[in-house]
Amino acid sequence: MPRSLRLLVLALLGTAPSAMAQADEPYGALVDRPGAEDTFIYCTACHSGMLVAQQGLSRERWDKLMVWMVEEQGMQEIPEPDRTTVLDYLSTHYGPDRPNFPRPK
Amino acid sequence: MPRRTDPKDRPTGLFSYFDADPERADLDVFGRIAHPDRRGFFRGAGLATMGAMLGAAIPFHRNMPAGFIPVALAQADVLEGKDGLVLLADRPVNAETPAHLLDDPITPTNRHFIRNNGVVPDDLDPAGWQLTVDGLVDNPMVLSIADLRDRFEVVSMALTLECGGNGRAFFDPPASGNQWTYGAVGCAEWTGVRLKDVLEAAGVKDGVVYTAHEGADMHLSGDPDKSPISRGMPIGKALTDDVLIAFEMNGAALHPMNGAPLRLVVPGWPGSCSQKWLTRIWLRDVVHDGEKMTGTSYRVPNRPVAPGEDVAEEDYVIIERMPVKSLITNPATETDLTGESAEVRGHAWSGDRTIERVDVSIDFGATWQTAELDPPVNEGAWQNWRTTVSFPTAGYYEVWARATDSAGEGQPFAVAWNPKGYLNNAMHRIALRVG
Repeated sequence: MPRSLRLLVLALLGTAPSAMAQADEPYGALVDRPGAEDTFIYCTACHSGMLVAQQGLSRERWDKLMVWMVEEQGMQEIPEPDRTTVLDYLSTHYGPDRPNFPRPK
Repeated sequence: MPRRTDPKDRPTGLFSYFDADPERADLDVFGRIAHPDRRGFFRGAGLATMGAMLGAAIPFHRNMPAGFIPVALAQADVLEGKDGLVLLADRPVNAETPAHLLDDPITPTNRHFIRNNGVVPDDLDPAGWQLTVDGLVDNPMVLSIADLRDRFEVVSMALTLECGGNGRAFFDPPASGNQWTYGAVGCAEWTGVRLKDVLEAAGVKDGVVYTAHEGADMHLSGDPDKSPISRGMPIGKALTDDVLIAFEMNGAALHPMNGAPLRLVVPGWPGSCSQKWLTRIWLRDVVHDGEKMTGTSYRVPNRPVAPGEDVAEEDYVIIERMPVKSLITNPATETDLTGESAEVRGHAWSGDRTIERVDVSIDFGATWQTAELDPPVNEGAWQNWRTTVSFPTAGYYEVWARATDSAGEGQPFAVAWNPKGYLNNAMHRIALRVG
Protein backbone atom coordinates (compact mmCIF):
# COMPACT_ATOMS: atom_id res chain seq x y z
CA MET A 1 0.00 0.00 0.00
CA PRO A 2 1.38 3.46 -0.81
CA ARG A 3 2.78 5.24 2.23
CA SER A 4 0.42 8.20 2.00
CA LEU A 5 -2.58 5.93 1.79
CA ARG A 6 -1.32 3.77 4.62
CA LEU A 7 -1.07 6.91 6.69
CA LEU A 8 -4.58 7.91 5.85
CA VAL A 9 -5.86 4.50 6.79
CA LEU A 10 -3.93 4.55 10.04
CA ALA A 11 -5.10 8.06 10.74
CA LEU A 12 -8.63 6.79 10.49
CA LEU A 13 -7.85 3.92 12.80
CA GLY A 14 -5.94 5.85 15.38
CA THR A 15 -7.52 9.21 15.94
CA ALA A 16 -10.63 10.65 17.47
CA PRO A 17 -13.22 11.86 14.97
CA SER A 18 -12.68 15.51 15.84
CA ALA A 19 -8.93 15.22 15.37
CA MET A 20 -9.45 13.24 12.19
CA ALA A 21 -11.28 16.10 10.54
CA GLN A 22 -8.40 18.47 11.07
CA ALA A 23 -5.96 18.28 8.21
CA ASP A 24 -3.33 20.12 10.23
CA GLU A 25 -3.17 17.25 12.74
CA PRO A 26 -2.27 14.33 10.51
CA TYR A 27 -1.11 12.22 13.45
CA GLY A 28 -4.06 12.87 15.76
CA ALA A 29 -2.90 13.41 19.32
CA LEU A 30 0.78 13.13 18.34
CA VAL A 31 2.57 16.37 17.48
CA ASP A 32 3.62 16.71 13.84
CA ARG A 33 7.40 16.70 14.16
CA PRO A 34 10.07 14.55 12.53
CA GLY A 35 9.49 10.93 13.50
CA ALA A 36 5.75 11.34 14.03
CA GLU A 37 4.85 9.23 11.03
CA ASP A 38 6.84 6.18 12.12
CA THR A 39 5.68 6.59 15.71
CA PHE A 40 2.09 6.83 14.59
CA ILE A 41 2.30 3.78 12.37
CA TYR A 42 3.91 1.52 14.95
CA CYS A 43 2.08 2.65 18.08
CA THR A 44 -1.44 3.13 16.79
CA ALA A 45 -1.53 -0.27 15.14
CA CYS A 46 -2.69 -1.54 18.54
CA HIS A 47 -3.68 1.42 20.68
CA SER A 48 -4.73 5.03 20.55
CA GLY A 49 -2.19 7.77 19.97
CA MET A 50 -3.95 9.51 22.86
CA LEU A 51 -2.42 6.94 25.17
CA VAL A 52 1.07 7.81 23.89
CA ALA A 53 0.53 11.56 24.09
CA GLN A 54 -0.42 11.42 27.79
CA GLN A 55 2.98 10.10 28.81
CA GLY A 56 6.07 11.99 29.95
CA LEU A 57 8.94 9.53 30.12
CA SER A 58 12.71 9.63 29.92
CA ARG A 59 14.44 8.04 26.94
CA GLU A 60 15.45 5.10 29.10
CA ARG A 61 11.87 4.52 30.24
CA TRP A 62 10.49 4.82 26.72
CA ASP A 63 13.06 2.24 25.67
CA LYS A 64 11.96 -0.11 28.46
CA LEU A 65 8.32 0.45 27.57
CA MET A 66 9.01 -0.57 23.96
CA VAL A 67 10.79 -3.71 25.18
CA TRP A 68 7.75 -4.47 27.36
CA MET A 69 5.46 -3.96 24.35
CA VAL A 70 7.38 -6.65 22.49
CA GLU A 71 7.93 -9.06 25.38
CA GLU A 72 4.52 -8.81 27.03
CA GLN A 73 2.06 -7.16 24.69
CA GLY A 74 2.54 -8.89 21.37
CA MET A 75 4.14 -6.02 19.45
CA GLN A 76 6.43 -6.98 16.59
CA GLU A 77 10.03 -5.90 17.11
CA ILE A 78 10.50 -2.55 15.33
CA PRO A 79 13.41 -2.80 12.87
CA GLU A 80 16.18 -0.20 12.80
CA PRO A 81 16.46 2.58 11.88
CA ASP A 82 12.76 3.00 12.65
CA ARG A 83 13.11 2.03 16.30
CA THR A 84 15.64 4.79 16.93
CA THR A 85 13.47 7.25 15.04
CA VAL A 86 10.50 6.40 17.26
CA LEU A 87 12.58 6.54 20.43
CA ASP A 88 14.04 9.91 19.42
CA TYR A 89 10.59 11.27 18.71
CA LEU A 90 9.02 10.00 21.95
CA SER A 91 11.80 11.12 24.25
CA THR A 92 12.02 14.54 22.57
CA HIS A 93 8.33 15.38 22.49
CA TYR A 94 6.97 13.25 25.34
CA GLY A 95 9.72 13.56 27.93
CA PRO A 96 9.40 14.11 31.70
CA ASP A 97 8.96 17.87 31.29
CA ARG A 98 5.80 17.12 29.28
CA PRO A 99 6.07 19.76 26.55
CA ASN A 100 3.01 18.32 24.80
CA PHE A 101 0.86 17.05 27.65
CA PRO A 102 -2.64 17.11 26.14
CA ARG A 103 -4.51 18.39 29.17
CA PRO A 104 -3.76 20.87 31.93
CA LYS A 105 -3.07 19.31 35.33
CA MET B 1 -27.24 -1.57 0.35
CA PRO B 2 -25.20 1.50 -0.64
CA ARG B 3 -21.55 1.26 0.15
CA ARG B 4 -21.38 4.83 1.29
CA THR B 5 -23.86 7.58 1.89
CA ASP B 6 -22.59 11.12 1.79
CA PRO B 7 -18.86 11.38 1.21
CA LYS B 8 -18.71 15.07 1.95
CA ASP B 9 -16.33 15.97 4.78
CA ARG B 10 -14.92 12.47 4.68
CA PRO B 11 -11.38 11.52 3.78
CA THR B 12 -12.01 11.00 0.06
CA GLY B 13 -8.75 9.13 -0.40
CA LEU B 14 -10.06 6.39 1.81
CA PHE B 15 -13.23 6.05 -0.21
CA SER B 16 -11.31 5.94 -3.48
CA TYR B 17 -9.06 3.35 -1.89
CA PHE B 18 -12.07 1.24 -0.99
CA ASP B 19 -13.50 1.83 -4.47
CA ALA B 20 -10.36 0.57 -6.15
CA ASP B 21 -10.11 -2.73 -4.26
CA PRO B 22 -12.72 -3.20 -1.53
CA GLU B 23 -11.45 -6.54 -0.26
CA ARG B 24 -7.86 -5.40 -0.05
CA ALA B 25 -8.97 -2.21 1.72
CA ASP B 26 -11.06 -4.27 4.14
CA LEU B 27 -8.03 -6.30 5.06
CA ASP B 28 -5.74 -3.29 5.42
CA VAL B 29 -8.12 -1.10 7.40
CA PHE B 30 -10.05 -3.51 9.56
CA GLY B 31 -8.12 -6.75 9.19
CA ARG B 32 -11.40 -7.95 7.71
CA ILE B 33 -11.98 -10.97 5.49
CA ALA B 34 -15.55 -11.44 4.25
CA HIS B 35 -17.30 -14.79 3.83
CA PRO B 36 -17.24 -16.29 0.33
CA ASP B 37 -20.60 -14.61 -0.33
CA ARG B 38 -18.84 -11.25 0.17
CA ARG B 39 -20.74 -10.52 3.32
CA GLY B 40 -19.97 -10.71 7.02
CA PHE B 41 -16.65 -11.43 8.71
CA PHE B 42 -15.06 -14.77 7.92
CA ARG B 43 -14.14 -16.40 11.26
CA GLY B 44 -14.72 -12.99 12.82
CA ALA B 45 -11.65 -11.50 11.12
CA GLY B 46 -11.81 -7.72 11.59
CA LEU B 47 -15.14 -7.73 13.40
CA ALA B 48 -13.66 -6.79 16.75
CA THR B 49 -11.60 -4.02 15.18
CA MET B 50 -14.59 -2.55 13.43
CA GLY B 51 -16.71 -2.99 16.56
CA ALA B 52 -14.06 -1.26 18.64
CA MET B 53 -13.91 1.61 16.18
CA LEU B 54 -17.67 1.91 16.27
CA GLY B 55 -17.81 1.55 20.03
CA ALA B 56 -20.53 -1.08 19.87
CA ALA B 57 -21.24 -4.59 18.76
CA ILE B 58 -22.67 -5.02 15.26
CA PRO B 59 -25.73 -7.28 15.66
CA PHE B 60 -26.27 -7.78 11.90
CA HIS B 61 -22.61 -8.08 11.04
CA ARG B 62 -23.27 -11.25 9.04
CA ASN B 63 -25.11 -9.09 6.49
CA MET B 64 -22.48 -6.40 6.15
CA PRO B 65 -21.15 -6.30 2.57
CA ALA B 66 -17.46 -6.56 1.85
CA GLY B 67 -15.75 -3.22 1.39
CA PHE B 68 -18.38 -1.45 3.45
CA ILE B 69 -17.40 1.68 5.38
CA PRO B 70 -19.79 2.16 8.33
CA VAL B 71 -21.42 5.57 8.13
CA ALA B 72 -20.84 6.07 11.83
CA LEU B 73 -17.11 5.79 11.48
CA ALA B 74 -16.53 9.50 11.07
CA GLN B 75 -18.66 10.27 14.08
CA ALA B 76 -18.26 7.15 16.23
CA ASP B 77 -18.93 8.14 19.83
CA VAL B 78 -17.16 5.86 22.26
CA LEU B 79 -18.75 7.81 25.11
CA GLU B 80 -22.35 7.21 24.11
CA GLY B 81 -24.51 7.07 27.21
CA LYS B 82 -21.98 9.07 29.20
CA ASP B 83 -22.24 12.75 30.06
CA GLY B 84 -19.34 15.12 30.52
CA LEU B 85 -16.60 12.51 30.85
CA VAL B 86 -13.07 13.40 29.73
CA LEU B 87 -11.73 10.93 27.20
CA LEU B 88 -8.15 9.96 28.01
CA ALA B 89 -7.80 7.39 25.24
CA ASP B 90 -10.13 5.92 22.65
CA ARG B 91 -8.47 2.55 22.03
CA PRO B 92 -8.71 1.15 24.63
CA VAL B 93 -11.44 3.47 25.89
CA ASN B 94 -10.52 5.24 29.09
CA ALA B 95 -12.50 8.20 30.40
CA GLU B 96 -12.80 9.97 33.73
CA THR B 97 -15.40 12.24 35.30
CA PRO B 98 -14.61 15.81 36.32
CA ALA B 99 -14.93 16.07 40.12
CA HIS B 100 -17.88 18.48 40.06
CA LEU B 101 -19.87 16.01 37.92
CA LEU B 102 -19.48 13.38 40.66
CA ASP B 103 -21.65 15.45 43.01
CA ASP B 104 -24.53 12.94 43.26
CA PRO B 105 -24.60 10.84 46.45
CA ILE B 106 -24.89 7.75 44.23
CA THR B 107 -23.08 7.99 40.90
CA PRO B 108 -25.44 7.86 37.91
CA THR B 109 -24.38 5.50 35.14
CA ASN B 110 -23.73 8.36 32.74
CA ARG B 111 -21.18 9.79 35.18
CA HIS B 112 -19.33 6.58 36.01
CA PHE B 113 -15.75 6.42 34.72
CA ILE B 114 -14.54 3.89 32.14
CA ARG B 115 -11.29 1.98 32.43
CA ASN B 116 -10.80 -0.58 29.67
CA ASN B 117 -7.71 -2.68 29.06
CA GLY B 118 -8.73 -4.31 25.80
CA VAL B 119 -11.36 -4.33 23.11
CA VAL B 120 -14.99 -4.45 24.28
CA PRO B 121 -16.53 -7.82 23.39
CA ASP B 122 -18.56 -8.05 20.30
CA ASP B 123 -21.57 -9.84 21.76
CA LEU B 124 -23.00 -8.43 24.99
CA ASP B 125 -26.30 -10.28 24.86
CA PRO B 126 -27.29 -11.22 28.43
CA ALA B 127 -29.53 -14.08 27.23
CA GLY B 128 -26.68 -16.27 26.08
CA TRP B 129 -24.12 -15.19 28.65
CA GLN B 130 -22.44 -17.91 30.69
CA LEU B 131 -20.35 -17.75 33.82
CA THR B 132 -18.10 -20.69 34.61
CA VAL B 133 -17.11 -21.27 38.23
CA ASP B 134 -14.40 -23.90 38.50
CA GLY B 135 -10.88 -24.61 39.61
CA LEU B 136 -10.59 -25.90 43.18
CA VAL B 137 -14.30 -26.28 43.86
CA ASP B 138 -16.36 -29.36 44.71
CA ASN B 139 -19.04 -28.65 42.08
CA PRO B 140 -17.88 -26.79 39.00
CA MET B 141 -20.77 -24.79 37.58
CA VAL B 142 -21.79 -23.04 34.39
CA LEU B 143 -24.44 -20.44 35.16
CA SER B 144 -26.56 -18.18 33.02
CA ILE B 145 -27.58 -14.78 34.33
CA ALA B 146 -31.07 -16.23 34.85
CA ASP B 147 -29.50 -19.03 36.92
CA LEU B 148 -27.73 -16.48 39.09
CA ARG B 149 -31.01 -14.63 39.69
CA ASP B 150 -32.93 -17.83 40.41
CA ARG B 151 -30.48 -19.69 42.59
CA PHE B 152 -29.04 -16.92 44.75
CA GLU B 153 -30.29 -14.00 46.78
CA VAL B 154 -30.32 -10.85 44.62
CA VAL B 155 -29.01 -7.81 46.48
CA SER B 156 -28.50 -4.13 45.63
CA MET B 157 -25.63 -2.19 47.17
CA ALA B 158 -23.93 1.15 46.58
CA LEU B 159 -20.28 0.20 46.06
CA THR B 160 -17.22 2.36 45.51
CA LEU B 161 -14.97 1.51 42.60
CA GLU B 162 -11.73 3.39 42.07
CA CYS B 163 -9.03 2.75 39.52
CA GLY B 164 -5.69 1.92 41.16
CA GLY B 165 -4.11 4.64 39.02
CA ASN B 166 -6.53 7.44 39.92
CA GLY B 167 -4.40 10.55 40.53
CA ARG B 168 -1.48 9.34 38.40
CA ALA B 169 -1.40 12.64 36.48
CA PHE B 170 0.17 14.34 39.50
CA PHE B 171 3.24 12.09 39.74
CA ASP B 172 6.61 13.75 39.20
CA PRO B 173 8.51 12.26 37.50
CA PRO B 174 5.52 11.07 35.49
CA ALA B 175 4.43 7.44 35.69
CA SER B 176 3.34 5.61 32.57
CA GLY B 177 -0.29 4.71 31.99
CA ASN B 178 -3.49 6.66 31.67
CA GLN B 179 -3.04 10.03 33.30
CA TRP B 180 -6.08 10.04 35.55
CA THR B 181 -6.61 13.18 37.62
CA TYR B 182 -9.43 12.79 40.17
CA GLY B 183 -12.33 11.20 38.41
CA ALA B 184 -11.55 7.48 38.07
CA VAL B 185 -13.89 6.79 40.97
CA GLY B 186 -17.59 6.29 41.40
CA CYS B 187 -20.17 4.79 43.71
CA ALA B 188 -23.08 3.40 41.71
CA GLU B 189 -25.83 1.12 43.00
CA TRP B 190 -25.03 -2.37 41.78
CA THR B 191 -27.50 -5.26 41.73
CA GLY B 192 -26.37 -8.84 41.60
CA VAL B 193 -25.59 -11.84 43.73
CA ARG B 194 -22.90 -12.20 46.35
CA LEU B 195 -19.75 -13.86 45.06
CA LYS B 196 -19.58 -15.53 48.45
CA ASP B 197 -22.93 -17.29 47.94
CA VAL B 198 -21.88 -18.57 44.51
CA LEU B 199 -18.49 -19.80 45.75
CA GLU B 200 -20.09 -21.53 48.72
CA ALA B 201 -22.56 -23.26 46.41
CA ALA B 202 -19.64 -24.41 44.31
CA GLY B 203 -17.83 -25.59 47.45
CA VAL B 204 -14.46 -24.00 48.16
CA LYS B 205 -11.86 -26.73 48.54
CA ASP B 206 -9.18 -26.70 51.22
CA GLY B 207 -6.02 -24.96 50.17
CA VAL B 208 -7.62 -22.28 48.00
CA VAL B 209 -5.75 -18.99 48.39
CA TYR B 210 -6.81 -16.87 45.42
CA THR B 211 -9.56 -16.24 42.89
CA ALA B 212 -8.82 -15.83 39.19
CA HIS B 213 -11.12 -13.83 36.92
CA GLU B 214 -11.60 -13.93 33.18
CA GLY B 215 -13.60 -11.65 30.90
CA ALA B 216 -14.70 -11.67 27.28
CA ASP B 217 -12.75 -8.59 26.21
CA MET B 218 -10.02 -9.04 23.62
CA HIS B 219 -6.34 -8.10 23.76
CA LEU B 220 -5.48 -4.93 21.82
CA SER B 221 -3.08 -6.85 19.61
CA GLY B 222 -6.02 -8.93 18.40
CA ASP B 223 -4.27 -12.13 19.49
CA PRO B 224 -7.12 -14.41 20.64
CA ASP B 225 -4.72 -16.34 22.88
CA LYS B 226 -3.78 -13.25 24.86
CA SER B 227 -5.93 -11.87 27.65
CA PRO B 228 -6.06 -8.10 28.14
CA ILE B 229 -6.49 -8.52 31.88
CA SER B 230 -7.14 -11.39 34.30
CA ARG B 231 -6.82 -10.51 37.94
CA GLY B 232 -7.96 -12.05 41.20
CA MET B 233 -8.10 -11.54 44.95
CA PRO B 234 -7.33 -13.45 48.13
CA ILE B 235 -10.11 -15.92 48.92
CA GLY B 236 -10.73 -14.13 52.24
CA LYS B 237 -11.77 -10.97 50.42
CA ALA B 238 -13.86 -12.96 47.93
CA LEU B 239 -15.87 -14.46 50.79
CA THR B 240 -16.88 -11.13 52.33
CA ASP B 241 -20.50 -9.97 52.06
CA ASP B 242 -19.98 -6.96 49.81
CA VAL B 243 -18.38 -8.49 46.72
CA LEU B 244 -21.01 -8.83 44.00
CA ILE B 245 -21.42 -10.53 40.67
CA ALA B 246 -23.47 -7.70 39.19
CA PHE B 247 -25.93 -7.62 36.32
CA GLU B 248 -27.55 -4.24 36.97
CA MET B 249 -26.19 -0.76 37.51
CA ASN B 250 -28.49 1.85 39.05
CA GLY B 251 -31.51 -0.33 38.38
CA ALA B 252 -30.86 -0.82 34.67
CA ALA B 253 -28.67 -2.99 32.48
CA LEU B 254 -24.93 -2.46 32.86
CA HIS B 255 -23.46 0.12 30.48
CA PRO B 256 -21.46 -1.68 27.74
CA MET B 257 -18.28 0.14 28.76
CA ASN B 258 -18.88 -0.74 32.41
CA GLY B 259 -18.91 -4.47 31.78
CA ALA B 260 -22.32 -5.46 30.39
CA PRO B 261 -23.93 -7.87 30.85
CA LEU B 262 -22.03 -9.27 33.87
CA ARG B 263 -19.15 -8.12 36.02
CA LEU B 264 -17.56 -8.38 39.42
CA VAL B 265 -17.77 -5.46 41.82
CA VAL B 266 -15.08 -5.56 44.49
CA PRO B 267 -15.48 -2.34 46.46
CA GLY B 268 -12.50 -0.58 47.97
CA TRP B 269 -9.91 -2.53 46.01
CA PRO B 270 -8.31 -1.48 42.72
CA GLY B 271 -10.98 -1.45 40.02
CA SER B 272 -9.03 -4.05 38.07
CA CYS B 273 -10.14 -6.70 40.60
CA SER B 274 -13.70 -6.12 39.38
CA GLN B 275 -13.46 -8.06 36.12
CA LYS B 276 -15.80 -6.75 33.43
CA TRP B 277 -17.62 -8.86 30.83
CA LEU B 278 -17.14 -11.68 33.35
CA THR B 279 -17.06 -15.21 31.94
CA ARG B 280 -15.13 -17.27 34.47
CA ILE B 281 -14.06 -17.36 38.09
CA TRP B 282 -11.71 -20.13 39.09
CA LEU B 283 -10.16 -20.86 42.44
CA ARG B 284 -6.46 -21.51 42.82
CA ASP B 285 -4.04 -22.72 45.48
CA VAL B 286 -1.49 -20.13 44.42
CA VAL B 287 -1.65 -16.37 43.93
CA HIS B 288 -3.19 -15.92 40.47
CA ASP B 289 -0.62 -15.16 37.77
CA GLY B 290 -2.93 -13.88 35.01
CA GLU B 291 -2.37 -10.83 32.83
CA LYS B 292 -1.64 -7.73 34.97
CA MET B 293 -1.25 -9.79 38.16
CA THR B 294 2.51 -10.17 37.69
CA GLY B 295 5.51 -7.93 37.03
CA THR B 296 4.81 -4.43 38.28
CA SER B 297 1.14 -4.18 37.27
CA TYR B 298 -1.12 -3.06 40.12
CA ARG B 299 1.87 -3.35 42.44
CA VAL B 300 3.78 -0.88 44.58
CA PRO B 301 7.22 -1.08 46.23
CA ASN B 302 7.31 -2.82 49.60
CA ARG B 303 8.75 0.36 51.18
CA PRO B 304 8.55 4.11 50.64
CA VAL B 305 10.80 5.14 47.74
CA ALA B 306 12.21 8.43 46.48
CA PRO B 307 10.59 10.02 43.42
CA GLY B 308 12.22 8.54 40.34
CA GLU B 309 13.90 5.68 42.23
CA ASP B 310 14.45 2.40 40.42
CA VAL B 311 12.86 -0.49 42.28
CA ALA B 312 13.75 -4.14 41.67
CA GLU B 313 10.78 -6.16 40.46
CA GLU B 314 11.00 -8.60 43.37
CA ASP B 315 10.45 -5.70 45.75
CA TYR B 316 6.95 -5.01 44.43
CA VAL B 317 3.82 -6.16 46.28
CA ILE B 318 0.26 -6.55 45.02
CA ILE B 319 -2.07 -3.69 45.90
CA GLU B 320 -4.98 -4.79 48.05
CA ARG B 321 -7.24 -2.18 49.69
CA MET B 322 -7.29 1.37 48.31
CA PRO B 323 -6.22 4.13 50.71
CA VAL B 324 -8.31 6.77 52.51
CA LYS B 325 -9.38 9.54 50.17
CA SER B 326 -11.90 12.33 49.66
CA LEU B 327 -13.18 14.39 46.79
CA ILE B 328 -14.69 17.89 46.73
CA THR B 329 -17.59 17.79 44.28
CA ASN B 330 -19.06 21.22 45.01
CA PRO B 331 -18.15 23.94 44.21
CA ALA B 332 -16.32 23.14 40.98
CA THR B 333 -12.71 24.24 40.99
CA GLU B 334 -12.05 27.65 39.40
CA THR B 335 -15.50 28.91 40.38
CA ASP B 336 -16.07 32.64 40.87
CA LEU B 337 -18.25 33.06 43.94
CA THR B 338 -20.17 36.01 45.19
CA GLY B 339 -21.22 36.19 48.83
CA GLU B 340 -19.52 35.42 52.08
CA SER B 341 -20.05 31.71 52.35
CA ALA B 342 -20.47 28.55 50.32
CA GLU B 343 -21.49 24.96 50.89
CA VAL B 344 -18.58 22.64 50.28
CA ARG B 345 -19.47 18.99 49.83
CA GLY B 346 -18.18 15.73 48.48
CA HIS B 347 -17.47 12.10 49.27
CA ALA B 348 -14.87 10.15 51.24
CA TRP B 349 -13.91 6.50 51.24
CA SER B 350 -11.26 4.05 52.45
CA GLY B 351 -11.00 0.46 51.27
CA ASP B 352 -12.38 -2.07 53.79
CA ARG B 353 -12.77 0.72 56.35
CA THR B 354 -15.14 3.55 57.14
CA ILE B 355 -14.47 7.28 57.30
CA GLU B 356 -14.45 8.77 60.79
CA ARG B 357 -13.98 12.42 59.93
CA VAL B 358 -13.60 14.88 57.10
CA ASP B 359 -11.90 18.23 57.73
CA VAL B 360 -11.92 21.22 55.41
CA SER B 361 -9.52 24.16 55.23
CA ILE B 362 -9.79 27.44 53.31
CA ASP B 363 -6.43 28.86 54.43
CA PHE B 364 -3.86 26.46 52.95
CA GLY B 365 -4.15 24.06 55.86
CA ALA B 366 -3.51 26.51 58.69
CA THR B 367 -6.92 25.91 60.28
CA TRP B 368 -9.55 23.23 59.73
CA GLN B 369 -13.25 22.78 60.32
CA THR B 370 -14.92 19.41 60.63
CA ALA B 371 -17.60 18.61 58.04
CA GLU B 372 -20.94 16.93 58.66
CA LEU B 373 -20.43 13.29 57.63
CA ASP B 374 -23.05 10.70 56.69
CA PRO B 375 -22.58 7.01 57.50
CA PRO B 376 -22.17 4.77 54.44
CA VAL B 377 -25.52 3.58 53.05
CA ASN B 378 -24.01 0.09 53.24
CA GLU B 379 -20.59 -1.46 53.65
CA GLY B 380 -18.42 -0.65 50.66
CA ALA B 381 -20.17 2.64 49.83
CA TRP B 382 -18.49 6.01 49.97
CA GLN B 383 -19.68 8.53 52.56
CA ASN B 384 -21.13 11.91 51.73
CA TRP B 385 -20.08 15.02 53.64
CA ARG B 386 -20.80 18.74 53.63
CA THR B 387 -19.93 21.91 55.45
CA THR B 388 -20.44 25.64 54.99
CA VAL B 389 -17.30 27.75 54.82
CA SER B 390 -17.19 31.52 55.37
CA PHE B 391 -14.77 33.79 53.58
CA PRO B 392 -13.49 36.75 55.61
CA THR B 393 -12.72 38.96 52.58
CA ALA B 394 -12.83 38.85 48.80
CA GLY B 395 -9.88 37.10 47.16
CA TYR B 396 -8.39 33.80 46.07
CA TYR B 397 -9.00 30.77 48.23
CA GLU B 398 -8.13 27.13 48.07
CA VAL B 399 -10.45 24.65 49.69
CA TRP B 400 -8.74 21.51 50.85
CA ALA B 401 -10.42 18.36 52.14
CA ARG B 402 -8.82 15.69 54.30
CA ALA B 403 -10.50 12.45 55.33
CA THR B 404 -9.47 10.29 58.28
CA ASP B 405 -10.53 6.66 58.38
CA SER B 406 -11.50 4.16 61.09
CA ALA B 407 -7.87 3.07 61.47
CA GLY B 408 -6.83 6.65 62.17
CA GLU B 409 -5.12 7.11 58.81
CA GLY B 410 -5.54 10.47 57.09
CA GLN B 411 -4.71 11.78 53.65
CA PRO B 412 -1.23 13.15 52.97
CA PHE B 413 -0.58 16.58 51.50
CA ALA B 414 1.98 15.33 48.96
CA VAL B 415 2.02 12.38 46.57
CA ALA B 416 3.62 9.22 47.97
CA TRP B 417 5.49 8.54 44.72
CA ASN B 418 5.82 5.03 43.34
CA PRO B 419 7.08 3.96 39.90
CA LYS B 420 3.75 2.89 38.39
CA GLY B 421 1.70 5.81 39.63
CA TYR B 422 -0.76 4.04 41.93
CA LEU B 423 -2.64 4.96 45.11
CA ASN B 424 -2.40 8.73 44.98
CA ASN B 425 -4.58 9.80 47.88
CA ALA B 426 -3.19 13.28 48.36
CA MET B 427 -5.75 15.83 49.53
CA HIS B 428 -8.03 17.28 46.89
CA ARG B 429 -7.63 21.05 46.52
CA ILE B 430 -9.94 23.34 44.61
CA ALA B 431 -9.50 27.01 43.67
CA LEU B 432 -12.19 29.61 44.37
CA ARG B 433 -12.28 33.32 43.62
CA VAL B 434 -14.57 35.18 45.99
CA GLY B 435 -15.78 38.56 44.75
